[in-house]
Amino acid sequence: MSNGEHQNTVTLTVDGVDVTVPEGTRVIEAAERVGVVVPRYCYHPGIPTRPAQCRMCLVEVEGRPKLEPSCTLQAEDGMVVLTASKTAEDARQAVIEFLLVNHPLDCPICDAAGQCMLQDFAYVTNQLESRMDEPKQIMGRDRISDDILYFADRCIICTRCVRFMRDVAHDDALIVAERGHKSYIDTFPGRELNNPFQGNIVDVCPVGALVHEDFVFKARAWDMDATASVCPGCSTGCNVTIDTKENQIVRMKPRHNSKVNSYWMCDYGRKHLVMTNRGVRAEVPMIRDGDKLRATDWETAISWVARQMEIVGHETGSAVISPQMSNEDLSLLWSLLNWLQIEKVEFQVSSGETASLPSVPKLKLRADRAPNAFGLELFGAERVQHLSSETPESPLVVMGDLLQDAPEKFGMGASFFLYLGTRLPEAARNAHAILPVVTFAEMDGTFTNFEGRVQRFHQALNPPGIARPGWMVLSRILAELGTGDVISDVRSAFDHLVKNEQAFEGLSWDGIGLKGAPVRGGHEEVKNLVPS
Amino acid sequence: MSFPYVHELETRTLLSEYQGKKDARTLKSWRDEGGYQRVRKAIDMSPETITDVVKESGLRGRGGAGFPTGLKWSFMPKEDGKPHYLCCNADESEPGAFKDREIIRWTPHLLIEGCLIGARAIGAEHVYIYVRGEFFEDTQHLNKAVVEAYEAGFVGSNIMGSTWSCDITIHTGAGAYIAGEETGLMNSLMGNRAEPWAKPPFPAQAGAFGMPTTVNNVETLSTVPGIIEHGSEWYRQWGSEKSPGTKLWSCSGHLVRPGNYEIALGVPLRDIIFDVCGGTPSGKPVKAVIPGGSSTAFLSAAELDCATTYEGMQEVGSSLGTASPIVMDEDTDIVRAMRRIAQFYAHESCGQCVQCREGTSWIVRILQKIESGDGRLRDIDTLYDLCEQMTGRTICVLADSVVFPLKSSLDKFRAEYEAKMTSDKVAVG
Amino acid sequence: MSREIHPAVVGAQPFQTAERGQFDGPIFKTKEGRLRLEMALTRYPDKRAALLPILHFVQEKKGWIETSDMEEVAEALEVTPAYVHSIVSFYTMYNQHPVGKHLIQVCTNISCHLNKGDEVLECFLEETDTRQGEISSDGEFTVIEAECLGACGFATVVQVNDRYFEGVTPENVSNILDELRAGSHKR
Repeated sequence: MSNGEHQNTVTLTVDGVDVTVPEGTRVIEAAERVGVVVPRYCYHPGIPTRPAQCRMCLVEVEGRPKLEPSCTLQAEDGMVVLTASKTAEDARQAVIEFLLVNHPLDCPICDAAGQCMLQDFAYVTNQLESRMDEPKQIMGRDRISDDILYFADRCIICTRCVRFMRDVAHDDALIVAERGHKSYIDTFPGRELNNPFQGNIVDVCPVGALVHEDFVFKARAWDMDATASVCPGCSTGCNVTIDTKENQIVRMKPRHNSKVNSYWMCDYGRKHLVMTNRGVRAEVPMIRDGDKLRATDWETAISWVARQMEIVGHETGSAVISPQMSNEDLSLLWSLLNWLQIEKVEFQVSSGETASLPSVPKLKLRADRAPNAFGLELFGAERVQHLSSETPESPLVVMGDLLQDAPEKFGMGASFFLYLGTRLPEAARNAHAILPVVTFAEMDGTFTNFEGRVQRFHQALNPPGIARPGWMVLSRILAELGTGDVISDVRSAFDHLVKNEQAFEGLSWDGIGLKGAPVRGGHEEVKNLVPS
Repeated sequence: MSFPYVHELETRTLLSEYQGKKDARTLKSWRDEGGYQRVRKAIDMSPETITDVVKESGLRGRGGAGFPTGLKWSFMPKEDGKPHYLCCNADESEPGAFKDREIIRWTPHLLIEGCLIGARAIGAEHVYIYVRGEFFEDTQHLNKAVVEAYEAGFVGSNIMGSTWSCDITIHTGAGAYIAGEETGLMNSLMGNRAEPWAKPPFPAQAGAFGMPTTVNNVETLSTVPGIIEHGSEWYRQWGSEKSPGTKLWSCSGHLVRPGNYEIALGVPLRDIIFDVCGGTPSGKPVKAVIPGGSSTAFLSAAELDCATTYEGMQEVGSSLGTASPIVMDEDTDIVRAMRRIAQFYAHESCGQCVQCREGTSWIVRILQKIESGDGRLRDIDTLYDLCEQMTGRTICVLADSVVFPLKSSLDKFRAEYEAKMTSDKVAVG
Repeated sequence: MSREIHPAVVGAQPFQTAERGQFDGPIFKTKEGRLRLEMALTRYPDKRAALLPILHFVQEKKGWIETSDMEEVAEALEVTPAYVHSIVSFYTMYNQHPVGKHLIQVCTNISCHLNKGDEVLECFLEETDTRQGEISSDGEFTVIEAECLGACGFATVVQVNDRYFEGVTPENVSNILDELRAGSHKR
């Protein structure tokens, strides 16, 4: 439909509803357009091959003698599809009964319980009893990779995992071994999977056959809360869902976004985020009292910081910002820096090896291991290889966690050293004030990914102590200085961003939705805005 | 055992004339008998004419499905600039059938002629003869014949001095019944698991190596040279309007003279079993016959008067299949026999479709249970229901293949199943 | 010997042979191995299609296919070792474990079943004192149950390596075993 190309369409009827789709569309997808989700196992929208082997998506087509697999059946003009006719439902119910013939029915200890397509469709098809009372076939358990386990008895041989590895990751290391009822999923004997994207096989598994070892027995599906977010592991900004339980991140799963990560994410991202549960956090504001830092409340801290800034006055200084900060943080921070007349703003991005998923060119584990380096560049911050270790006798603002490896004396000479961070590194002791801010997982906000796509993330965890979002803290300081209003909701923070940074012009919090939107002029123009 | 025995009902003309005659395996004697003149004739014919002659002859595929061969050939695209392939299906593994092996080991040159004419008709540049791996000895005869034919210039470049070239490669399978299914065969040929694929794409659109391909059975292709030599009218002197010609009958089971017989289609099945094959060795009455290989429906003794044509077998609710009657005498335990058949399909299911992967092995377990006396009446209902759920629901017909004998055995020999259940269990249901 | 093989039939050599354990090292480093591989490759538009013929060759030389062979084949045909594993385990004729000098496959499918196939199998197991798939203590025999061998008119059919024995009855099992033993001694 793009490029002004004429595309033929066909109109068919699915369960009595007319739907017009581009020629070549498969019935399973046409049905989704009118809200009909045909049960399926082997079909996965992100995996190009469609073996039509699970026989779950069989539908009745008027005038055809046999049920047809809707995943491969092309929509045709005038086609009348019945997804829930008696014949189709009977066939589906039978598939479930067949799948349960050898299934151990171990839902009470299965990690997929509650999110299992076998469980779901067993209920949907009302297949709650089996006539099977012969002995079951028992196959056991295997290790697929250093962190993925395979429970063969739960496996329904839909081959999604095999086809993800082969057709999406182009790494034909996972296969179906043996045949017939003895089939199981296997790697080469003695060799485990070793692909930077292999974690996706766990996500595509419709049942509990493939499980991340670090998730085994950790949480039941119904005990977890799911929050839409963006992976902070690199500059790609994969859309993710963060699953939390008891205020801890339990796992992170990719969330579909055709413009960014399709259905996938890399293993680095998954592990990276779960690690953020660890470490000691800054929980209360602290202000300098002689040669000590004293914990205090926000009122006191904010007014103390504002007074100190007034004493220092509009003196040129420097700032060091972490590329983990949200766009809203940056927007408010720049207002503060402008007040101080600080122009030298540096940031450093830790870098790592890249990895790509061959069939999704945009999806890469990128060298920039931070979510918002691009945002910082839009604000005009300067990317440096090493942060300057000596600080002149002038104001210094540090925002974000970048002082872990800073020298002990970092910032000692500064006339005013303000630190906003989530943790308490050694060098933070030299600050005049430590203001505890929250991580991206503890607030709402946006990041700008490697190609200028602004994407929303949402609060998945409660912050520790009385830490608050950076933008909120900064807005209160600015209000105390008499140059703005207190901002206490993310929409207003985003509005502040749109008003103050031209690249974001025209965007709105609601407008970018959960899939994000490119900054002004899209990717190409933005590239010109940013010195490479 | 069938050689040199020839029965008067036999028509040993097209396929079996040289079976049992070792000399016929060599190129020299094959040429002495007029071999390869049919290929010469085909080279001088246009592909369309060859296809038309075969169409007119009414020859139907001998692999079991009985699809008209000429029509199949006509599906192949013309002048599309792509390489075309002909696959000769010699993966004979249907229990009961052993006719293709006979052709391969006695008359390999006949098969090569058929392959060449078929290739000519569909514009194939390469013929792959997919022989089942177990046929080691028989394949050696075929190998020799192919090499001889290459050396004589009958296969390869510029065949018989013409501008036409065509290669033949013998490809051996490695033990998989499902490689006899045409898409399974092509997958296996390409070095994949012999898993059938869901059509479309049809072989004539995108078959082996993604190119237009036709898959024909050994017997089908071996019939073609005779049709080309004598014409379609000549071929139609045998058989019926819808089932013309002769057919190799692989007869096995409880028979005095089991073996292969070439018989015109249409002869009553009873005559083949009792006259040609001499009835049961025990002299006891026949209880049941599976007429077309193990994937066809059981016939009871009362149904043996049916005509051995595609339509005649259909009339009695079975099918001609590969024309491989398996005869069971009165002492046969039908449940046990059925369990053994089901076991085969469970063993050979490729495992893609759920109904087949789980259904075949479940059927085996139910039958084992009944066999051992632990069955209940409701198991029969379950079996019937599984039959329904396994029919027409899968990519290929392997699941259907176990249903035909199972359902018919339940229909026709239900009493035998029930007799295995102890009376109290029957009462409980 | 290889030199005499025509490329058209290079993939169709008897591969269930009794000459086992002749190759220890990499098979495609040998002249014969390289030649067979190259010849097989000329017959298909795709490298992968040579997989079955090449696995046949490995088994012809080694009697079974072990993981190191699979890795070697994978490298030669530019597929992954896992893929080769998937193929080897799909097809029943590829021995995934060592077998005796004589691999005895007894058909017990329907036509043979009707003609004492099960008893023939039992006899073979008894006479060789093995369970299915085991190697007999003298290293001579491995007995397994086979599905239809395609010679139903000559039941019971028994395949020993590349050779068919037809019309086998429980009574002539021991004769067959004696003949096989004598044959392997001759060799």
